Amino acid sequence: MLVLEDLAYAHPVMWGNYSFTMTAAPGEVTAVSGPSGSGKSTLLDLIAGFLEPTGGRLTLDGVDLLPLPPETRPVSILFQSESLFEHLGAAHNIALGLPPGTPRAEVARKVATALDEVGLPGVGNQRADTLSGGQKQRVALARTLLRNRPVLLLDEPFSALDDDSRAATRTLVRSLTEAHRWITVLVSHHQDDIAALAARHYRISSGRLLLA
Amino acid sequence: MKRSRRSNSPLPPRPLRLLGGTGVAAAIAGLVVLVLWSIAAAASAEPAAARTPVDVRHLLAMTTIQAGLTTVLSLLVGTALAWALNRLRFPGRDLAVGLFASAIVTPGIVVAFGLLAVWGRSGWVNAAWQALFGAPLDVPIFGLGGILAAHVLLDGAFAARVLLGRLDAIPMARLKTGQSLALTPWTRFAVLDWPAIRGSLPGLAAIIFLLAFTSFPIVLLLGGGPANQTLEVAIYSAVRLDFDLNAAVLLALVQIGACSLVVLAAAGFGHVPASLGPVRQQRWSDRGWAQLAQWVVLGLGVLGFALPLAAILVDGFGTGLGALLQRPTFWRSAAASLVIASLSAALTLLLALALGLGRAASANPVFRTGIGVPSYAYLATPAVVLALGIFLFVRNSGISPDAAAPVVVVIANALLALPFAVATLGPPLDAIALSRGRVIRSLALGGWRQFSDVEWPLVGRDAGLVVALAFCFSLGDLGVIALFGTQDFATLPLLMVRSLGAYRTNDAAAIAAIMLSLTILAFVAIPRLFGAIAHARA
Repeated sequence: MLVLEDLAYAHPVMWGNYSFTMTAAPGEVTAVSGPSGSGKSTLLDLIAGFLEPTGGRLTLDGVDLLPLPPETRPVSILFQSESLFEHLGAAHNIALGLPPGTPRAEVARKVATALDEVGLPGVGNQRADTLSGGQKQRVALARTLLRNRPVLLLDEPFSALDDDSRAATRTLVRSLTEAHRWITVLVSHHQDDIAALAARHYRISSGRLLLA
Repeated sequence: MKRSRRSNSPLPPRPLRLLGGTGVAAAIAGLVVLVLWSIAAAASAEPAAARTPVDVRHLLAMTTIQAGLTTVLSLLVGTALAWALNRLRFPGRDLAVGLFASAIVTPGIVVAFGLLAVWGRSGWVNAAWQALFGAPLDVPIFGLGGILAAHVLLDGAFAARVLLGRLDAIPMARLKTGQSLALTPWTRFAVLDWPAIRGSLPGLAAIIFLLAFTSFPIVLLLGGGPANQTLEVAIYSAVRLDFDLNAAVLLALVQIGACSLVVLAAAGFGHVPASLGPVRQQRWSDRGWAQLAQWVVLGLGVLGFALPLAAILVDGFGTGLGALLQRPTFWRSAAASLVIASLSAALTLLLALALGLGRAASANPVFRTGIGVPSYAYLATPAVVLALGIFLFVRNSGISPDAAAPVVVVIANALLALPFAVATLGPPLDAIALSRGRVIRSLALGGWRQFSDVEWPLVGRDAGLVVALAFCFSLGDLGVIALFGTQDFATLPLLMVRSLGAYRTNDAAAIAAIMLSLTILAFVAIPRLFGAIAHARA
């Protein structure tokens, strides 16, 4: 279980005071919605470690995550865009999820398996900037598979996609979350995404999370 | 709540980069202080007045007037050329744009020589005039007119390339709106073009003013006597011809003060992009008188810039080349030039990368400013002044200036190219840190992997541009080598000046042609080579 208890943050620019309390379970998508500027991305930055909270607790299965820097937190994160390095090939992007020094044969095998799992076999040699929006998000999800972190944070990941890609990527997120028992936290202001994916749904109001 | 010492910034923690950037910034700041201290100490050690009379007021006025006129004329020429290039579509447009872009690296001494080859007493124009009309045409190529012509050729072409980048970046939607409203050419310029270029003009003006204010070889070659002397040439004359260090030190202090004022004023102006970006063909052409005017402007511009360069190549690769190639001094100078330019280009890249990576690794504005500012001090320290400061320091340290010369020339040339290098590499490295820092950090990429997989493929071509700029600057440098050169240690520009002094004009023409060819080759090939290497890595 990922548990936030009064995780607090005072935004220096937006003059917002936040205090987040929520729980998210493995194998489920927990959605967070709210209007622009309500603090959705701030919440993800606090969980990922890009912002330091001013108070409260953040635990995963009872283990305190707050002392950990972003690179060692058990967290993967997917943004609306720019999750991939567009000048690199799809396979190279995915391979960045593996530790340095991994033998080449193993890298190739794992990348191919991950691409298969996200339904994109054969695109490994394509440069990321030649992929469609939906394909890019799938490649980023493939990298998430190799990192194999228990928490997946999704920051408006479907916003830039057309309707068909959106539905297909949503299905993929749900199936991967269930198959790998990930704790997936989805931030979105699209009710369709939330209705299609979320097992539980929080709404941000005045800097606090309310169960919707 | 238990806390460990760690960074929550979206930027990955990179202590080595911070350390490297700090070390380099401190070293180059220290060298600036050393140069200033050496000059100031020399001034106080010999309190006696300068042996030769120094009219500082006249020199300052002459330098300011020629730099001011150069700036105004270059901006006018540059705006007109950019306007014409932006509108006209013709085969070879990319070549014309490349020609103007090469102005930034074309050595001043080569351009000055090219002007003489076309407009001089024995030049092409005079020969044609004499053949047609039987009498010589007296073009005042020596003096203020010649200096301005050479400066406007170089700086006007440079301004054209920068402003063209701004015009080509006007969003397509805005152009389509303008076209659907059937804007007249003048309204189009006022409504669409002027807002796109005016932000760059003050910064561009400051750069051109500074380049003209510190110009050395052009004034040396085309000045035509003391009446048109500038501060930079007067410092050189005081050291090398009059052996009057007091006068040199006094003039150097005035020069540094004046350049510092310009640099400080320029700091408040808008950013001038160092990386010029791709050029885009316009689909909306003007018609009628406007198009005619654009063809005239472009024709004059290409003729004015290309003719001197063509004259250099034709004259240089003609009769004088064979004799030059048989002189051992030429081969020694060519080898020295290539080695010095290569080493100083490599040093420039290393320093700029250390500064750029260090700056991009920190979000602290004070630290970022502290790392960035020292390199720009070299904008306010002209080549002859920098060389003078180092010369004084080396001499006072008991080291023979002759023995230290090669090392000093490499370092000084690298430092003089550093502001351009930092301005080229800094913004893309900052942009990568800003847009990709979170992904890099969440993937726990190490520093080397971040550089080799993310940064190098993206800035490789810019790094090539830095190396090409530094190589060409060093290849064409006369300011530093003029003070440190000896009978046994000379580069191609110094050999060219010596050949002219000895009335070996054919040798000078051949050297100019070789320098121009090397410059064009380096400017075209090095960025492509680096781009290919970076791309292969991706």
